Amino acid sequence: MEKAKIKASQMFILVVLFEMGSAILVGLGVQAKQDAWMAVLLGLMGGLLLFLIYYRLFKYYPDLPLTSYLQKITGKWIGGLLGLLYIIYFIYMATRVLRDFGELLTTTIYTSTPLIVINSLMILTIMYGIHKGFEVIARVGELYFGIVYFMAIAGIILISVSGLIHIEFLQPVFEYGWKPVVGTALKQTITFPFGEMVVFTMFLPFLNNHKKVKLACMGGMILAGINIAITAAINVATLGAELFTRSNFPLLTTIGKIQLANFIERLDVLFMLYLVVGGFFKISLYFYAAVAGTADLFKFKNHQMLSFPIGFIILFASVTIASNYAEHIKEGLDVIPVYLNWPLQIIIPCFLLVIAFLRNRKKKKTPSAS
Amino acid sequence: MPILSKLLKKKQKQRKNDNYRQQQDPQKPENLPILREYKDNISRIKGEFGNSNDIVIREIVHCKHRGALVYVDGLVDSRAISDFILESFNENDIDTDGMDYFQFMTEKAVALGSNEVIHDWNQVYDMLLSGNTIIFLEGYNKAISGETKGWEKRAITEPSTQLSIRGPKDSFTETLRTNTALLRRRIKSPNLWLESMRIGTVSQTDIAIMYIKGIANEKIVKEVKDRLKRINIDSISSSGYIEQLIEDQSWTTFPTTYHSERPDTVTSQLLEGRVAIIVDGTPFVITAPALFIQFFQAADDYYSRFDISTGIRLLRILAFIIALLGPAVYIAGTTFHQEMIPTTMAIAIAAQRENVPFPAFVEALIMEVTFEILREAGLRLPRAVGQAVSIVGALVIGQAAVQAGFVSPVMVIVVSITAIANFSTPVFAMAIAARLIRFVLMGLATILGFYGIMLGLMFMSIHLCSLRSFGIPYMMPIAPFNMRNQQDIFVRFPIWAMKYRPMFISKGNMVRSGENQKPGPPKQGDDNQSSKGES
Repeated sequence: MEKAKIKASQMFILVVLFEMGSAILVGLGVQAKQDAWMAVLLGLMGGLLLFLIYYRLFKYYPDLPLTSYLQKITGKWIGGLLGLLYIIYFIYMATRVLRDFGELLTTTIYTSTPLIVINSLMILTIMYGIHKGFEVIARVGELYFGIVYFMAIAGIILISVSGLIHIEFLQPVFEYGWKPVVGTALKQTITFPFGEMVVFTMFLPFLNNHKKVKLACMGGMILAGINIAITAAINVATLGAELFTRSNFPLLTTIGKIQLANFIERLDVLFMLYLVVGGFFKISLYFYAAVAGTADLFKFKNHQMLSFPIGFIILFASVTIASNYAEHIKEGLDVIPVYLNWPLQIIIPCFLLVIAFLRNRKKKKTPSAS
Repeated sequence: MPILSKLLKKKQKQRKNDNYRQQQDPQKPENLPILREYKDNISRIKGEFGNSNDIVIREIVHCKHRGALVYVDGLVDSRAISDFILESFNENDIDTDGMDYFQFMTEKAVALGSNEVIHDWNQVYDMLLSGNTIIFLEGYNKAISGETKGWEKRAITEPSTQLSIRGPKDSFTETLRTNTALLRRRIKSPNLWLESMRIGTVSQTDIAIMYIKGIANEKIVKEVKDRLKRINIDSISSSGYIEQLIEDQSWTTFPTTYHSERPDTVTSQLLEGRVAIIVDGTPFVITAPALFIQFFQAADDYYSRFDISTGIRLLRILAFIIALLGPAVYIAGTTFHQEMIPTTMAIAIAAQRENVPFPAFVEALIMEVTFEILREAGLRLPRAVGQAVSIVGALVIGQAAVQAGFVSPVMVIVVSITAIANFSTPVFAMAIAARLIRFVLMGLATILGFYGIMLGLMFMSIHLCSLRSFGIPYMMPIAPFNMRNQQDIFVRFPIWAMKYRPMFISKGNMVRSGENQKPGPPKQGDDNQSSKGES
């Protein structure tokens, strides 16, 4: 493991950038139609509860990443296997985000560029970042946080000045009852993006002030959740529930509608700028978690040498995991949440917490008994 | 990279060995004592210097004592020699007060600023070559070294690279002493410490390290000294050598040490806790640690009011971005993202480019390279011809290239804006980094349009964030973010609000100014302020 130390503010920024990452790009909670923003906020609540589980686990083992305390809790072999499972999960998620990202570019702007070219350049940049270490990634995050916010505010001002927002599109609230909203939250928004905080269990020991974990991470989640909800609301208010549901990338469609004074139009560049930044951090953090986990599990002293092999796995897997975009999305919406996200983000951590609780209670009892 | 670092480590090991060998190296004459016979000493000097005729040896007879003066012509002040040394040897009836003749000559007779008694040959060479006059006297196995330094100096002139409108008009010169004096005159505090050393096994260049005790971070001062001590090279021709030998990372286009020829700039950096390295023979003083944003701060920023200097600084940063991205954005816009250009403008550009036989990248490359050649040639040409040639060249080539249909007029505009924007970066070292990266970004824009540019910028920001200057993160108050130090970054706060020194660079003594420095008109009912002050 690398001995990185980051500040609480840096952790906060990383959480925000990671959570917003690709969640803002794809239509999050589209099944809830115009109530998507509510589904997002509900997901946020669930996500915060989930994070409390991760936080408890972290409290038991404040200096260890997930892959290490898995072995402490469940024993060497089971823990090792679970750790391996998590590493593969992180790699797979990095792959998925990279694919999302490449698909977006190839379907919208670079229609005749092969996917692998787009993806390989991105992964090269990320590998460079991983090679430089976690502290550098955190600093790059600080550098881009301001830029992302500036773009977001500029975007919101431009959309509202263009007169695109129709609040009535957001009504009626609960048109189909509360069931689709809760269903979407449970099936999608809890796990994506909020449950993805499980990746931060690898990074929490890096924080220089362990007392601020809760503040930094949960604050970051709340800010990101509100941002995503606002984006969803603006998307619906601009496009209407119908178009919002059908659109592959609602935000891109929304930005495409901006037209001001016959000069400011087609601001896809802004979108792409965000895309690269958001994609970079999301993939980087998954990637880094995989690298750090592997180094931890297999006792590598130097994590840097792992960035190349794992990077290439991510790159080639991103091209081969699905034969087309429809398949990729179908997997993402129907298969991943049920078979990957729920077990790995919710069920296993819950079990871990129970076992850790029992074990530590025993430990506490033994010294008092003696 | 790991392979590289391994290689470097090997080299370092080798360096250690070399160091060891050098110490044993008999290249330097053995350290022999001075002989009693002055004639032997003189013949030894003649032999060592191969009868070089700038070594002046003048024999003297004084009160039955024989001796000789030795000095290097051109390094000494000949008036000092004739007025003080020769004069004292002319006086023949002397009263030694019972003192030994040698002691008397040292302490009383030779009336110079500082006289030293030296005993061995290394000292003799050292002193002689620094402009001192050595006096050998018959029958003594020691010599007097009188300070008679005085070589031709360039006068203090206006700075030629970092100009300012309102600031002081003096600049450093090639003489170390003049430079240290310029700094001393600005900081009249005993806490301004100066340490000197000699670097260069052959050239023996004088180097001075200056810092303010109590403001500078001790760790950084020590690090600077350690890095300077590690240097083992035959000669130091300019401070550029030192800069390249002590920087944290060689594999970067960005400068990680700052250099300036303005004493006021260096003064303010010393006051922020930085360390200055002054090299004899160079009018550029190095300061370290250097931060990225520092290369966008010009001296004038502090001499005009804050609103104006903030505007100018933002303009400068914008100019840097233009210099970096200008041609790349043009290439990306015309080849990949025509739909993003407003329709009428797109048509205008397309109409102009109709007759151009090259793709945008080649077009941009031709013009950029042409311009770079012109600029480089303009720099090297004799001054009288230089400007004329560069202007005529730019006009003729620009005009002719457009008329011949090689390039479109828009391209000429882009290249010229980029070039002019590039000149607005106050420090050349940073401007040239932008010049180099511009070509890389142009290539990326050709391959992948804006996406390529974005990735290039991402790569650049990772690189910038990973850089360190003497252990301080290069992007310091921006990433890692520090609220307290935002007073001099994008917005230059009013002087009265710039209360703190930059963190990590200075340690301990962080507060620069007192409370309530904000000026204002006298408050109403405050007319009898003097009486209030008394009470």
